[in-house]
Amino acid sequence: MYIEEGRIKLDKSIHQHLTTYHDPCNYGRKSERTFGHGYYEEPRWVTQQCCENFVEMYPNRANNFCCGAGGGAWAAPYVEERIFYGRVKAKQIKDTGAKLLIAPCHNCRDQIMKSLRKEYDMMDVEVKYLWELVADSLVVEPKEGGSDEEE
Amino acid sequence: MDPLLLSKREKRTLATQYADLCLTCGTCAGGCPVTGVDGLDVRKAVRLVLLGMEQELIDSRFPWVCTLCGRCEHACPMGIDLLAMLRSARGKRARDKVPGVLHKGVQMCLKTGNNVGIPKEDFLFLLEDVGAELAEELPGFEVPLDKKGAKYLFTINSKEPFAEPEDMFYWWRILTAANESWTVASENWEGVNWGLFTGDDEAMKEIVGRIVKNYKELECEYLVLPE
Repeated sequence: MYIEEGRIKLDKSIHQHLTTYHDPCNYGRKSERTFGHGYYEEPRWVTQQCCENFVEMYPNRANNFCCGAGGGAWAAPYVEERIFYGRVKAKQIKDTGAKLLIAPCHNCRDQIMKSLRKEYDMMDVEVKYLWELVADSLVVEPKEGGSDEEE
Repeated sequence: MDPLLLSKREKRTLATQYADLCLTCGTCAGGCPVTGVDGLDVRKAVRLVLLGMEQELIDSRFPWVCTLCGRCEHACPMGIDLLAMLRSARGKRARDKVPGVLHKGVQMCLKTGNNVGIPKEDFLFLLEDVGAELAEELPGFEVPLDKKGAKYLFTINSKEPFAEPEDMFYWWRILTAANESWTVASENWEGVNWGLFTGDDEAMKEIVGRIVKNYKELECEYLVLPE
């Protein structure tokens, strides 16, 4: 991938806060069941290329709790239930003491950033997509040649 | 309440091959954050199916309050296909009874190529416009549209052009920094397939088919759904 091949360079000094990572069900459990590989370690590695201070939520990886808005719940009318569902996620996040949360999935990010932070009094936790973290850590250099990658 | 005649129960219609194996241990429900909402939980959902009371499950809110996250299925000691079961309960709802905007999104996507109905000309204008904005930071940047033979074809989550267009800068910046060959399609670019959520296999297949068609026609090497 880009980072390993040195096609992009990242600056760790930009994100110094304690950072944690949320496992989306689609990248983890569901990929594991559907494709035989759960993406648990790859995003952690990428996160840690951008952040020195990293902490895990518990439980994590295949046993991680859903954000509460999966399966279309973010677009469904059952708002109260969605927030109730998210209480477990909110506690997991708070327990880490992290001030930056990486949520790669659109849905998880919206639920945590736009709903759970407000509902569970954790507005001091910043939420970013994984690619947002990478984009914000980029060291932009004058143009050279190159080839490829994907998350 | 009339007794339920097990000898007369109807044939199951929900998609589960293994529900019969349930030991009623409750591991599934014990680890689920929505256990108890409306008096239901995953273990009870399996009982409803096995006792021939599928319609009660289909009519309940439970399959929709559940987020299909799969933690129950991962933990089930008998490997029961709980997600297939719950998703098919969603699929058995009459389409006009699908909660909220989900089915409307599916219909919109079938009709216009994206869930929120952004017309093609507006989409192209937007890409040009936000592309120009990013070009102020990255001179020469523009969104590569329908570029035949690009290495990566990216789909787009319609919420971004609809409401948060600048969130597309993140992946555009990375691709530009890596000097990558990539493209997006000018039609049927939607990467969010709500047929997955509404249990609508036919719509899901149609929408996936359109993406694959783009991918083949544009002769891309990889398809990326950054969803």
